[in-house]
Amino acid sequence: MSEVKNSIWGTHPLGDKEPYFVDVGALNLWMLYRNEEIWIAYCYDEEVEGKVDPSAPPEKTDWQRWAHKSGGNEVQILPAFADLPLIVQSEYSLKVSPYTTIQIYSRVPLWISISIAKNEYSLIELPATKLSKTWFGTPIEGELCYHVTTKARRDLSKTTPEDYLLSCPITISNRSAEELTFESFCFRVERLGIYKDTNGVLWADETEITYHGEEQHSDIIMTGKLPKGITKDMQISKPRKQIHKSLATRTFQRLFEDTDILGR
Amino acid sequence: MDLFNIYNYISEETVFQAVRVLLIIAISFPVLLLLRNWARSFFTKKYASHYGMLAGKVVFYTGLVIMIVMVMGQLGISLAPLLAGAGIVGVALGFASQTSVSNIISGLFLIAEQPFKVDDIINVNGTIGIVMSIDVLSVKLRTFDNMFVRIPNETIIKTEVINLTRFPIRRFNAKVSVAYKEDVGKVREILMEVAEKNKYSLSEPEPQIIFEAFGTSSIDLDFRIWAPVNEWIFLKNTIQEEIKKKFDEESIEIPFPHVSLYAGQDTEAMPIEIINSVVQQEEAD
Repeated sequence: MSEVKNSIWGTHPLGDKEPYFVDVGALNLWMLYRNEEIWIAYCYDEEVEGKVDPSAPPEKTDWQRWAHKSGGNEVQILPAFADLPLIVQSEYSLKVSPYTTIQIYSRVPLWISISIAKNEYSLIELPATKLSKTWFGTPIEGELCYHVTTKARRDLSKTTPEDYLLSCPITISNRSAEELTFESFCFRVERLGIYKDTNGVLWADETEITYHGEEQHSDIIMTGKLPKGITKDMQISKPRKQIHKSLATRTFQRLFEDTDILGR
Repeated sequence: MDLFNIYNYISEETVFQAVRVLLIIAISFPVLLLLRNWARSFFTKKYASHYGMLAGKVVFYTGLVIMIVMVMGQLGISLAPLLAGAGIVGVALGFASQTSVSNIISGLFLIAEQPFKVDDIINVNGTIGIVMSIDVLSVKLRTFDNMFVRIPNETIIKTEVINLTRFPIRRFNAKVSVAYKEDVGKVREILMEVAEKNKYSLSEPEPQIIFEAFGTSSIDLDFRIWAPVNEWIFLKNTIQEEIKKKFDEESIEIPFPHVSLYAGQDTEAMPIEIINSVVQQEEAD
């Protein structure tokens, strides 16, 4: 795997005249420390006509200000997983035979978490790329998620690393007697940590999904197992939720019978 | 005789009785209010504001009944004859306050059936508002233009109530009309692209485009998009604007009624006299 050039993760001092500029994915971010306040402005590529000027945000983009007691001028920028589960849709339908276990890799867009370096007070979290929202469940109950597509690769060694993508190893075990058609699944990322390898590529720990059949919940286990070449001390972001227990929930099934063509 | 001695007018026993009654009221009433507030906040935190409100009412009215019974006991009023007379009094009161009783019973049904909760947005006979409280006699709403509406429980039981926020997601149906000359396939693609880019539109359930009808002057499509219930109004507000913008960009015609004027005889053209030929002048320039 080649190296990620633009590594923005860590602590950065801010000036009061020249903004600290971050460009990751579709997100452009300007930061200043002015009058004991932290000023942040951001916009996305699709909102800007032409090239983005690193020295100043576009006229239409407004600054946001944070006044913080003895906050100092240093900010900490860290990657984070999305604040909602992800509905990961495979670009091509993948069928998993009964009693078969496979490992796939899904690369999902990251969020950028900006906090005050001194006390880790969170200022703002922004997605590196805008994601559309989707619903997982029935029209009566379910959960709001983000929608992402994946190639569900079996190997990431030949891919070009991107600074706004997190590589997630996922093991899918089909423990049922029926074939599992993997088109999309609900990926609960809030319990995953983020690790940075020597090339600057971001990784998550392993997720294990065990499918027991259409009418039953799937078990989701954050195994804590790390990808090859990653060690515990490479962790740069902790999980949003520090729960290390198995979770049994709907992962593959979605029902929208009464919202189809006939539903008035 | 001392004119200012209170015991010349009432007995010592009566004074003590009055003091006891006042003490019962003075101690139990604030305790009751404290208990009501505690129950309200506890159930609101644990479940929802709706249950908090109900718990508060149950605690308060139960406590109030106990307090009245205690006061009556102190005053030496026996409950047995009161209860015996309650049947007769009840019938008389029932006739006298049919509406109130009907509202109270309707209120009990509303609490049991739970067609809506506090903080839900409901539509009753065209009145749309946020449920502030479900009380003994009525339901109180706050409309979006900040008016207070009191709807008797009986009315709510008798009429159709639409709960707009019962379910977590809601569909918006946009009526889209395009000219007959337009390629419907292309229009479909454009609409799906608009839905995909809209901030509030959900990818799943998937947006749908239903060919509604061959209209009098347009092809009518029903564009159905889903949004989280709390973002539905934003979806409605943005998606139609985005459709118009995209149609303008792609030169998709949205027909509107054309009015032809005739001078009374539909076989003859309407006579037009050019008074000031600005266009001709400009062309000459």
